[in-house]
Amino acid sequence: MRIVCPFCGERELGEFTYLGDAKPVRPAADAGEEAVYDYVYLRDNVAGVMSENWYHGGGCRAWLKVTRNTLTHEISAVEPAAGAGAAKVGA
Amino acid sequence: MAEFSWDVRSPLDRVLAVGRYGAHGDAGVTLTEIRNFDLVQVMARRGKTAELAKAAKVRFGVAAPETPKAVGTADATLIWSGPDQFFILSKGRKHAMAALAPLRAGSASLSDQSHARVLIAVSGAKARAMLAKMSSIDLHPSVFAVGAAAATSMDHTSVTLWRGNDQADGQAVFNVLVFATFAESLWHTMLDSAAEYGVVVGHSEDLA
Ligand SMILES: [Zn+2]
Repeated sequence: MRIVCPFCGERELGEFTYLGDAKPVRPAADAGEEAVYDYVYLRDNVAGVMSENWYHGGGCRAWLKVTRNTLTHEISAVEPAAGAGAAKVGA
Repeated sequence: MAEFSWDVRSPLDRVLAVGRYGAHGDAGVTLTEIRNFDLVQVMARRGKTAELAKAAKVRFGVAAPETPKAVGTADATLIWSGPDQFFILSKGRKHAMAALAPLRAGSASLSDQSHARVLIAVSGAKARAMLAKMSSIDLHPSVFAVGAAAATSMDHTSVTLWRGNDQADGQAVFNVLVFATFAESLWHTMLDSAAEYGVVVGHSEDLA
C-alpha cells in the first residue's frame, strides 16, 4: 500500500503509522458518561469506505486524514488533518 | 571540581575510517561526512507562514522552499523539512542561531541542530544504485533533479535527503542529514550497501 502525502508525494506504507478512526469527535465536557465511553472505547468495524488518521512519522511528520476502503485498500482521498501544524498544503 | 576536557568529535568518530573499501577497481561510491556546519531548524508559528516567508526573503534574497526542495543562496542552503518548516545550512557562524534574531522575532521558532545531525554526502557513478537499497525515493535524474529534496526514511531512520549541485565531473551529489544518535547505524548500512561497488570514505569541512 502507498499513501500520497499532500506534502511529500507518494510514499511507501512503512513511512506511515495508522492512528485509528478519524470520525469520533471529543464530546462536550457536560455530554455525560455514555458519550465519553462511546468516544473513548467504541469503534465501528467498517467494511467499506472509512475515514482514518495516519501519521507521516517517517517523512514530514504531518498528521493526515485518509479516506480508505477497508475491503480493497483503495485510497480515495488524503488531506492534512485539522490542526496538523500546517494551515494548508504548500503554505 | 572535576576537570573536563571538551573535545569536539564527530558522532561518526568511532566508525569512519578514511580509506578505500569493498570491491577492487574504480570506486563506484564516495561517502563523505561533512563536518562543522551550522544548522538551524526554522518552524513558522501558527498563522505566521507568510510573515516568515517575507523575513526569510529579506535575509537570504530568495524565497524559502514551500515544497520539498533545497534552495541555494550565496552562503547558505535552505532545505524543506516539512510543512511550514525548513533548515538553514551554512558555515562560519554567519547564519548560526545567534545571527538569526530577525527571523525569530515573532514569526518563527528556531532550534539549533548543528551538533544534533550528521551530514553525509553520497556521490559516485553507483550512488543511485547504492541508495536504492535503503530508500524508496525515485532518484532518477528525470524525477530527482538538482535541488530536489525529501523528508523520508532510510533503513527505518528518518532523514532529510536532497540533491546538491553536481560535482565538477558531472556526478550527482546526494546529501543525507540524519539524527546524530542514528548516524552510526545508518553509516554501517551505507558502507555495506556500497561495498560491492567499491567505496571511498572521507570527511570534509566543505559543504557539497
Ligand atoms: Zn509527508
